[in-house]
Amino acid sequence: MTHELARVSSSVPGMDRDPTLLARRLERLRALDRRLVTAAELPPPARRTAAGADPGARAAHLAAGLGGTVEEGSGGPVVVVERATPLPMTLDGLARLPYPVDMERPLVYLDTETTGLGSAAGTLAFLVGIGRWDGASFCVRQLVLPDHADEPALLAALEAEIPADACLVTYNGRAFDWPLLVARYRLHRRPPPVTAGHLDLLPIARQLWRHRLPDARLASVEAGVAGVRRHGDLPGALIPERYFAWLRTGRAALLADVLAHNREDVVSLGRLLGEMSERLADPERRRSAHPGDVASLARVFQRDGRQDEALACYAEALAAWDEREPAPTRLDRDTLAAEAARLLSRTGRHAEAEAAWRALADRGGSTAVWAWIALAKHREHRARDSAGAMEAALRALRIVERRRAVGIPLRAAERDLARRLARLHRRARARRLT
Amino acid sequence: MRLYASATVAEVLDRLLADPAVAEAVVADRTLPARAADMRPFPDWLDAGLRSGLEGRGVTGLYSHQAEAIEALRGGRDVCIVTPTASGKSLCYDLPVLQAVAEDASTRALYLFPTKALGQDQLAGFHELADAAGIEVAAAIYDGDTPAPVRQTVRAAGQVVVTNPDMLHAAILPHHTKWFQLFEQLRYVVVDEAHTYRGVFGSHVANVLRRLLRLCAHYGSAPRIITCSATIGNPGQLAETLTGRAPVLVDRNGAPAGEKRVLILNPPVVDARLGVRASAYGLVERAAVTFLRADRQTIVFGRSRTSVELLLTRLREALREGRGPVGRVRGYRGGYLPSERRAIEHGLRSGDVLGVVSTNALELGIDIGRLDAAVLAGYPGSIAATWQQIGRAGRRRELSAAVLVATSGPVDQYVATHPDVLFEASPEEARLDPENLHVLLAHLRAAAFELPFEPGERFGAAPADDLLAFLGEDGHVRQAADGRWYWASENFPASEISLRVASPGNVLIIDTGGDRPRVVGEVDLFSAPTLVHEGAIYLHESRQYHVDRLDWDERKAYVRPVDVDHFTQAELAVTLKPLEAFASDAVPGGERVHGEVMVSSLATIYKKLRLESLENLGWGRIHLPELELHTTAYWVAVDPAAVAGWRRDELDVALVGAGRALQTVASVLLMSDPRDLGLVSQVRSPHAERPVVYLYDGVPGGVGLAARLFERHAELVAGARDLVADCPCDAGCPACTGPRLESGGEGKRLASRLLALLSGARADIAGAPAA
Repeated sequence: MTHELARVSSSVPGMDRDPTLLARRLERLRALDRRLVTAAELPPPARRTAAGADPGARAAHLAAGLGGTVEEGSGGPVVVVERATPLPMTLDGLARLPYPVDMERPLVYLDTETTGLGSAAGTLAFLVGIGRWDGASFCVRQLVLPDHADEPALLAALEAEIPADACLVTYNGRAFDWPLLVARYRLHRRPPPVTAGHLDLLPIARQLWRHRLPDARLASVEAGVAGVRRHGDLPGALIPERYFAWLRTGRAALLADVLAHNREDVVSLGRLLGEMSERLADPERRRSAHPGDVASLARVFQRDGRQDEALACYAEALAAWDEREPAPTRLDRDTLAAEAARLLSRTGRHAEAEAAWRALADRGGSTAVWAWIALAKHREHRARDSAGAMEAALRALRIVERRRAVGIPLRAAERDLARRLARLHRRARARRLT
Repeated sequence: MRLYASATVAEVLDRLLADPAVAEAVVADRTLPARAADMRPFPDWLDAGLRSGLEGRGVTGLYSHQAEAIEALRGGRDVCIVTPTASGKSLCYDLPVLQAVAEDASTRALYLFPTKALGQDQLAGFHELADAAGIEVAAAIYDGDTPAPVRQTVRAAGQVVVTNPDMLHAAILPHHTKWFQLFEQLRYVVVDEAHTYRGVFGSHVANVLRRLLRLCAHYGSAPRIITCSATIGNPGQLAETLTGRAPVLVDRNGAPAGEKRVLILNPPVVDARLGVRASAYGLVERAAVTFLRADRQTIVFGRSRTSVELLLTRLREALREGRGPVGRVRGYRGGYLPSERRAIEHGLRSGDVLGVVSTNALELGIDIGRLDAAVLAGYPGSIAATWQQIGRAGRRRELSAAVLVATSGPVDQYVATHPDVLFEASPEEARLDPENLHVLLAHLRAAAFELPFEPGERFGAAPADDLLAFLGEDGHVRQAADGRWYWASENFPASEISLRVASPGNVLIIDTGGDRPRVVGEVDLFSAPTLVHEGAIYLHESRQYHVDRLDWDERKAYVRPVDVDHFTQAELAVTLKPLEAFASDAVPGGERVHGEVMVSSLATIYKKLRLESLENLGWGRIHLPELELHTTAYWVAVDPAAVAGWRRDELDVALVGAGRALQTVASVLLMSDPRDLGLVSQVRSPHAERPVVYLYDGVPGGVGLAARLFERHAELVAGARDLVADCPCDAGCPACTGPRLESGGEGKRLASRLLALLSGARADIAGAPAA
């Protein structure tokens, strides 16, 4: 039996009869809610200055307030603020670094300011800063959203800024800015712009510089690496509220700090690339670089499979630490030396590796345990020197036992040595018997 | 006589009814006739692979309800399928979905189940059918346990996404731009076990579906919705309220069934004056053991985790005494490991497990095959749930049996004394109110976050502009120059809504009994003073917890699991102020009203009551601030002229007693927990200046209970009058007007008088002294 259903009436009887009822119910709810939420938690009430106003006038007002212009794009008018900053630098070295950046392609530096974190559908980018470097100066074009309603125009204008062969340069853009922009294109049912590459400087900055910086925020990295300190920079956490305040009040001045902050961020992207290119790419120039940075670079080269360059950087960093300025801690230095020695073994430079391990072993300390174990391995399997291997293993054991006695057991080393010594003893006994 | 000889169900029933203790307790004995299968051939358009896959599994045609459902879907309609458990309901949606995937691989479907376990069970069945049909289909679960890398794959490539309403609400809809492939190609939305979407939860889910359909429209898809419900009074209306669209109702079951005998047993009265009856467990045990000894597969339903364990122990002991099949009787409840549950389900299907004692966890659609007998320890709380549980017994051809044993609770006693309610009356209606202002506004915020509102765009019953303007006052939503309403806040509104509770500011319930503190649930603020005050026994998934500490400012209740034989009941000092009448109408003896009220409640003390006998074991004080609840209510204002000459104290006792009876009948009529409805009586209402009984919806804004009570006023009053009249007690008892001691022995007489007056008896007769 299949039958149609009669339409059900509104679930509240009487509701449909009285159009003012909803208003009265909302009024009571309002009275109730005001007691639940304290006044301080409430933002100031919205003024309907925006609604009904001529959209063109609003954009013009914003452009005038920020010293920008209204550009007519394919999707409608968009506010653009353009500034150039002299930035003498060379980027020629970048090609020699182990990062996926193709210098034949146009680099498009990009940073967004948004109404919140995450890329859920209710968060939008109200400001997109686009940077380009022409060899002498750095030009930042900022696309600003005058009103929610203008987003399609901003997205259309952004498409025009990003050629299909462009390589994006961002800071955390892989996880945040770009997915957010893609989400906005999806929401407006437009295909997101195509790009040829994306160089996210956040993971790079973490690898190279985090060891000497308090955190990995772009401003901190820029201050620590390029020595550029910002004055009166607007904290990022305040940015969304500034934009909402602009929407409510129509005061363009509220966004001036936000634009300055964004422009600094975009220029910083250029500066950081410049630093990498000038200080780290060239082996000669690298001598003046921070030894810790060179050590970090060694690891990046190694991960990229460029072992000769990795070994060169290890050597440079160790030499700088030993000759010029001491490493932050002895452990830092010895850990790096051990990594270098391990890479030497792995690339078949056994004599050099043995010398490196020997030097580490002589330095004592916890790294020496692994140095002696490495030497035991080398002597047992490569030099075929069982007695020497036994001696090295016993040296390691001595340190391990001392450590255990003072309450700092090195369990992994203990397990390794137990197995190793048992085998070496077994072999020694077998040899005595034959 | 040999105790353990295998016997037929008919023989076991004879044996059982030969026992005088059972025979005397029988208050109803009905036989439901056998039903033949109503088969239809496979439709011509059915994919050849699907057809041969089904034939390979021995399916040669479709039951009529399956055929009707898939034809209606083929015709582009929504359907609502109402059939009992184990009637091949899943095929009604699996088949059209697989057909659509076979025709066009870009097709997407979304399956919603109220619990994770059901989703897993159904997905396994879906994969079996797809494999048999040789159809390549990417079907996956997307819930809180799905690992991050898998999530990405499901978003981009999952053709069938199985999830639950909570996940859809919090993780899928707000991130719809990452799911655009799903939204662009969504063909079918399956809403299974829809009868569970009632009350607050249902009101939320209806709004989640509104948001879903709104996004589908944005991305250019127009999915068909397949709603499946257990047998309830208003399945089509439920589906329409949930989805906002009128479906084709498919409610004639074409699956075959053997004859079924249903017995209702009411344990004997032990103390007639106080209305105390013997425990239900004795008769439950007697019935279950008789079936088990005869090698008949039996399921026993207990109402709580504790009663499941208690019954399991009693059954095993009884079977052990006579060396019965002890090891083949298992327990099944929330808190068992999934693997244990799967093993028991499999054992039931294969016959290795002879008996199972379960909470209502086995009431929903998990596949355990068909059993010989079902024994219900207590009325499950609704007619619909009773039939779901009874439906677990039922062979295709042979006779099966179901035995319901009433407890001494008021609702149980109502059913035991009015068995026609179960057999003749239509099952309860599932009530929900998607227009509840609190719920609606919360989801409107979430919807505005997801996509701006066009001016004049409807969200539910009406254009949303006024509500959006209201939200705009807090600055979270704004109307831009283009007239659209945009989300303008850093907040993530979906995270502020929990679908299972009514309003924000929930109290979290934290179990401190384990290695690490663990959140086991939450209750809404207005229920917290009575449910999780210090010293309360809080029930969650049939498990008991003791509330050690309630941190009111932090909204946290610290609990630990316990196993006790009592529960707690808090008393509220309640004052109620009517705010506005939405509708009112003259009725015999006065006026019925539906409207909005403000309820101020202060939890004062709590009592400890023994689980079965409701015996009072002690009490404690509650120290919590007063709360205000803004909700909807139904009330009956008594005409002062009709009760002229009544003493004030008489009127008070009459209003309280009649109110209790009305509350009990209301919960039977509306398929709600009696605690969902609050009761207040006023001898002289300060507003109406006359005697009034209020029944108010216990959640902020209400879920439509009050509106429905207003409509069913006459049935309600008649039911309450019969409940009191037919109760075997002499002067009022907990099962009708409340314990006699509270009313000085006059409760029953005075309440009867008032109810007679309200049901239209002439005042002079009603006012005559009771015999």
